[in-house]
Amino acid sequence: MRLNEIKKGGLFRVKNLNCCNDCVSRLMEMGLLPDQEIRLMHEAPLGDPIAVEFNGCHISVRLEDAAHVEVELISE
Amino acid sequence: MSKSTPSTRIALIGNPNTGKTSLFNTLTGMRQRVGNYSGVTVEKKTGTWSLPNGREVELIDLPGTYSLSASSLDERVAVDVITGHGLGQKAPDLVVVVVDVENLRRNLFLASQASELGVPIVIALNCWDVAEKKGLQIDSKLLEQRLGVPVVPTVAKRKSGTEELASEIAKAIETRPMLMRPQWPEAVQKAIHTLHEELVTKRGEKLREGELQRLLFDRKSAVSERLQSSAAEHEPIVKAARDQLYKDGFQPDAAESTLRFRFLNPLLNDVLERQAAMKKRSKSEGIDQLLLHKFWGLVVFIGMMYVVFQSVYTWAGPMMDLIEGGVGWVQGIAADALANTPMLQSLIADGIIGGVGAFLVFLPQILVLFFFISILEESGYMARAAFLMDKLFQWCGLNGKSFVPLLTSFACAIPGIMGARTIHDNKARLITILVAPLMSCSARLPVYLLLIGAFIEPVYGPKVAGATLFAMHFVGALVAAPFAWALNRTVNKGRKPEPFVMELPHYRVPQIKLTCYRMYESGKEFVVRAGTVIFAMTIVIWALLYFPRSTNVEELVTTAYTQELEAGALIDEDELSKRIDAAYLEQSYMGRFGKFAQPVFAPAGYDWKITVGVLASFPAREIIISTLGITYALGGEVDEESDDLRSTLTRAKWESGPRAGEPVFNIPVALSIMVFFALCMQCGATVAVIAKELNWWWASGSFFGLTAIAWAAAVLVYQVGMMFA
Repeated sequence: MRLNEIKKGGLFRVKNLNCCNDCVSRLMEMGLLPDQEIRLMHEAPLGDPIAVEFNGCHISVRLEDAAHVEVELISE
Repeated sequence: MSKSTPSTRIALIGNPNTGKTSLFNTLTGMRQRVGNYSGVTVEKKTGTWSLPNGREVELIDLPGTYSLSASSLDERVAVDVITGHGLGQKAPDLVVVVVDVENLRRNLFLASQASELGVPIVIALNCWDVAEKKGLQIDSKLLEQRLGVPVVPTVAKRKSGTEELASEIAKAIETRPMLMRPQWPEAVQKAIHTLHEELVTKRGEKLREGELQRLLFDRKSAVSERLQSSAAEHEPIVKAARDQLYKDGFQPDAAESTLRFRFLNPLLNDVLERQAAMKKRSKSEGIDQLLLHKFWGLVVFIGMMYVVFQSVYTWAGPMMDLIEGGVGWVQGIAADALANTPMLQSLIADGIIGGVGAFLVFLPQILVLFFFISILEESGYMARAAFLMDKLFQWCGLNGKSFVPLLTSFACAIPGIMGARTIHDNKARLITILVAPLMSCSARLPVYLLLIGAFIEPVYGPKVAGATLFAMHFVGALVAAPFAWALNRTVNKGRKPEPFVMELPHYRVPQIKLTCYRMYESGKEFVVRAGTVIFAMTIVIWALLYFPRSTNVEELVTTAYTQELEAGALIDEDELSKRIDAAYLEQSYMGRFGKFAQPVFAPAGYDWKITVGVLASFPAREIIISTLGITYALGGEVDEESDDLRSTLTRAKWESGPRAGEPVFNIPVALSIMVFFALCMQCGATVAVIAKELNWWWASGSFFGLTAIAWAAAVLVYQVGMMFA
């Protein structure tokens, strides 16, 4: 599943990142690398962008960019 | 303040929201200068700081950035300055990396990148207090040992740690400590070596190893733009090195993050201790449960924006009245003092004092807006506002950060345009600035009130009048949306948008000192930089309205007046001076130009008097009211509430031409004027501010562009209106 599809409440783990996307490169520089745990914190009123949390920081990402990050569910 | 620049230079770098600017302000106090890096709009701040040994150093506050990969202008400036390519000056003697304790790992990524550029480094561990309160403990001594450079805990807000920082820096300038660098895998070393051979050895490029790394790791490195060899020459070299790295098992775009974090992680073992007592959910998260809530978050946001907008609109009111009153008072004094020399009197009282006053009136709005912007940014709410609004702006190349500047532009475009500095993406900032003048500012209100009061209300009643006023406020915004989209498609074509990945920082209590400083800074820049331009424009417009002052105009009017009196007409004394004013305006260059240009505005239904009004209003749109007052012979002292002006306008008839004898004003004409004023850039101060924030090319482009759009829309409204009239 992809980062743009994750649901609130679950804990996810990054499997793969498409680093050709600029936003993804930026996220990687912020420490979003494979095996990093990540969860969904908020959705903007129109559903896009989303705010995710990893490593203690909260980051806003647009859905189109989030689609370049592959994740897997590790716990509900 | 010493005039000569100190020879020792120290650059301050750090992630956004690390309190870097706060530290910079604490260290330099008021001894700082704000400017732009040459060629780019990135704000450049430098200041002077005295070290304990009496040594004066120049401190450069680099833009906040997460990395040096140069995907944004900010990062590019940072790399250029550190490597000595920025400002045309040598590389700094030392770089202080400001690190937020709470995001240590991510912050050290930047420090590690900077160290590759071959500069000595000192680390300031900022926000020490917040981290301690949250139960985070950091062994700064251990970290210092592992990194190999001084690590100084600081709390910029309370000035704590700054003395230690100063003495460590004084020492480090001599000892030049270097941060530990990762042991790169062979593949990377090989690729770097190839680049070094090809570019440095063979082609004589002056590049440090860190810069070669940037060429290798970044998809489109800004470093390549300042190579001496042509793109055709160096691009294949860089590509070959990246391809080689890929073949050796490292995806070049991901290699740096992966490898650098792999290097940093073990260094942080045992350095960071999270105490068990650390609250699971921080305060910020709790606040966000409300402020980013899908429904309530929006309610709070709208409420907050309402307060900001109302304040820019109303708080500034009394201050603006005060300035207007003061200007009027000074004008009176000047007019009395210069009563013997009418031309000088008019130049100084009406031209200079009046013109500069009309522009100083915007100062309160700027101060009020920057008060709020500073608080919204400092507290961390601005990022949340951008998060909530982003979707609305995505489609036309803007992002959520455009919201506050555009909303403010409904009060006045000038603070709005200056407020666009908060938008980091340059492309989005450009579009925001260009569409900001389309938002219906408060100076348009008098025009709407006059015309609606004179033509809409008497015919359709107050309800329709109110609705028209409301609708007029959206005309600009309605045009702005497709305009922004088109701009994005044309002007920004090929320019990559900056990634909209935005941190939602922890909430903080804003510092009143910083807020005051930002208000002062923005006010000063507006007055000093935009003011000089306004001053020049004011004099030109005054001259066009005043000259040529042929002496017989007064005689002719007076003779005609006495004849009418003798013929038994009942006209009072005032009428004479009003007629003289009108006659002077008619024969002034502006008046002549108005008559000459009238055919251009004829398709919009304007006679020459309206045309003069429109032309004379280019410095400031509200001038139309007094100009119409003069051209329709009412004297200069009229306002939009004046019944005289309203009734005169309704009585005005075409003097000649195909429609001679018909009223000049009807509903289509009134609407056409209002639409023209809604869209046209009739504000010298706005043009000057755009020129300052972007450049003169953009300022004149938007001036002519918006004037053309306004003209086309006015013609359309009139022509369509006449079909139904």
